[in-house]
Amino acid sequence: MADASISLKQKLWNSEARLAYLLLLPAVVVLLTFMFYPIVYVLLMAFYKTNKLSRMVAFVGLRNFTSEMSDPEFWVITGRSMLWTTLAVVTKTLFGMIIALILNVRYTGRKIARMLFIIPWASAVPISSMLWRWVYHPVYGLLNHTLKVTGLWSTPTTWLGYPIPAFIACIWVDIWIGIPFMALVFLAGMQAISEDLYESASLDGVNWWQKFFFITLPGIRHIVLIATLLSCLWTFNDFNTIYILTMGGPAGATDILITRIYQNAFKWLRFDRAAVMAFVTFLILTGLSIIYSRVYFKEERL
Amino acid sequence: MKRLKLVLSILIVLLLAAGLAFAGGQKAAEKQTVTFFWAEYDGLTEDYRASLQDAFNAAHPDIDADIVSTDWDLMYDKLTTSIAGGKPPELSVIGTRWLLELMTMDVVDEVTQYLSKSTVDNIAPGAMEAKLKGKLMGLPVAAGARILAYNPNLTTTVPKTMEELREVCLKVNNPPKVYALIMPGKLHTELTDFAYYFYAAGGNFFKMEPDGSYGKCTVNSPEGVKALSFMNKLAQEDKVVQEGYLGLDRMDSHPLFYTGKVAYTFIGAWVESAAKNAGAPFQPKYGQIPPFAGQKQKPLIITDSIAMFKGTNLEAAGTFLDFFYKDEWKAKFDEAIGFPPVTISAGKLPQFQTPLYKILGEAALNAQGWPLIEEWAECSNIIFNAQIEVHLGKKTPQKALDDAAAAIDKLRGK
Repeated sequence: MADASISLKQKLWNSEARLAYLLLLPAVVVLLTFMFYPIVYVLLMAFYKTNKLSRMVAFVGLRNFTSEMSDPEFWVITGRSMLWTTLAVVTKTLFGMIIALILNVRYTGRKIARMLFIIPWASAVPISSMLWRWVYHPVYGLLNHTLKVTGLWSTPTTWLGYPIPAFIACIWVDIWIGIPFMALVFLAGMQAISEDLYESASLDGVNWWQKFFFITLPGIRHIVLIATLLSCLWTFNDFNTIYILTMGGPAGATDILITRIYQNAFKWLRFDRAAVMAFVTFLILTGLSIIYSRVYFKEERL
Repeated sequence: MKRLKLVLSILIVLLLAAGLAFAGGQKAAEKQTVTFFWAEYDGLTEDYRASLQDAFNAAHPDIDADIVSTDWDLMYDKLTTSIAGGKPPELSVIGTRWLLELMTMDVVDEVTQYLSKSTVDNIAPGAMEAKLKGKLMGLPVAAGARILAYNPNLTTTVPKTMEELREVCLKVNNPPKVYALIMPGKLHTELTDFAYYFYAAGGNFFKMEPDGSYGKCTVNSPEGVKALSFMNKLAQEDKVVQEGYLGLDRMDSHPLFYTGKVAYTFIGAWVESAAKNAGAPFQPKYGQIPPFAGQKQKPLIITDSIAMFKGTNLEAAGTFLDFFYKDEWKAKFDEAIGFPPVTISAGKLPQFQTPLYKILGEAALNAQGWPLIEEWAECSNIIFNAQIEVHLGKKTPQKALDDAAAAIDKLRGK
């Protein structure tokens, strides 16, 4: 027993381990200060009544949760957040894949095309959102003007003025910004697949679809998993696009959890309500990450 | 020996530095510091801020005024953060409607305690929106009633009632060349447009209790329903408002007026400078926002105040405000931002006798501000959404406002 403890101590506190701890220390301090402390603070806040200065004034147990969850609007907003994320991520993945396949083909001007595709991703999200706000302007906007002059739609809708068009308009901007990331990540994965596999498949008379489904897709499976997980996290928390385009309107029709958290915390100073919503968001995204990592590592082991 | 010399030299340098810092601290301690969060209103220049600060510091060597320029949109965040951090400024420009929240936090002080009598007596009584339970908790800095502006190239009629406005709008409206009226249908920051019609119908957002507090929400009163029905009629049935109004907030809509495409708009004091800056092909003319037939004219007035935050240097802060509120500085400030003066003496100066200021002055006589309740930001959002639900055809005006009033009462525990 004593030998075992000495051996454990030696393992955990030898000169190499000490150096490792020393090197890890700054990262641990930064993580504890800037990640765990805010998470724990927000979690605590969800169980307290807060004042206008975000200070916790009285412990209320689960009252903030029951109050929030008995409000039908909370469930509407949570459901909309999930719909928003699902639609956006699926579309970004599909378009990203198609663009990656196009960019992976050898042709003149491929480098320029790759550079152009990255522009929406490289631009700041608020700037892109403001640009689209002008595009959607009902009187001077490029979109409605184009629809009118081409005769495609003589009386186009007010994109940001009605619930469904506003939701479509917002989600399109999020998709437009996110596609280049997906495309580039998929492209990087595709370029790591050996050309020999495609050549052998061609010799065996395999067609394009079969190459895609049996060589390309399995070859980039892990990259697709990671990229879609990241995209889910970013899309679920995409505050800028919605807030700049509609501020959650019309009549709350484009509000998702993250925009409502902002409103509760910084417009109405209801930090306890915001903390409950932030905690729910944390649970949803953590759950999603766990599912993804289980699938990822299961496939790794296989 | 060399090492000893080095150590001694370092010690001497450190001692000298500590001594100098102590001496500097002593000198600073003799001076009282006044930090002032200064809102960057349109038209105010950095030169003005700097010259006010320099002039005050030169006139009062015992006080060190630090005027901190702050973007108006960031002011609330900056202020709440500094309060939460335990270091509020001595003075800050605030939206008067924030005052109750600040009072709940117990961070603001009554300003009249630290001002000279002549400064207090020189404030126009109508501008003292921040007078709560007999105590002036914020000194008005900018107060502007909302008015009707019109394009004389499209119309010369100044309607006397809302009903007359509708009649004129029906005649003037000729889309897409000319729209009769601006009606922003997308949330900007506040509920201003509904308030124009609601106040014109004689409405009040809350029942006033005998003790002066705000009771149950009365936005669903007959006046509220009348106002919202009228707005919806103008927009959805008569279609006399700008195209795509539900997708345009105030900042998107007003430029249409400046281009000369719209006959009427309800707007604030900034209209003249904004039209000029936009290169408007016409000189706007002004009138009062008309009441509904049988009602008294009651436009919306928005006021900003200077609040004094509890601390040690409030006597010095009062001295600064006495200095700033002299015509030499305050009138220049009012002229730059385009709002009518809040001081009686500045109101008599020749530069404030133009047609616009005349109309603004008249409007202020009967104007009404926002309700001073802590939860107003959230209440305002609820009412705005109710208004939009009516425009979208989801609810009738009565149903939408009943739901809004119920939600507000629940929120306020009434």
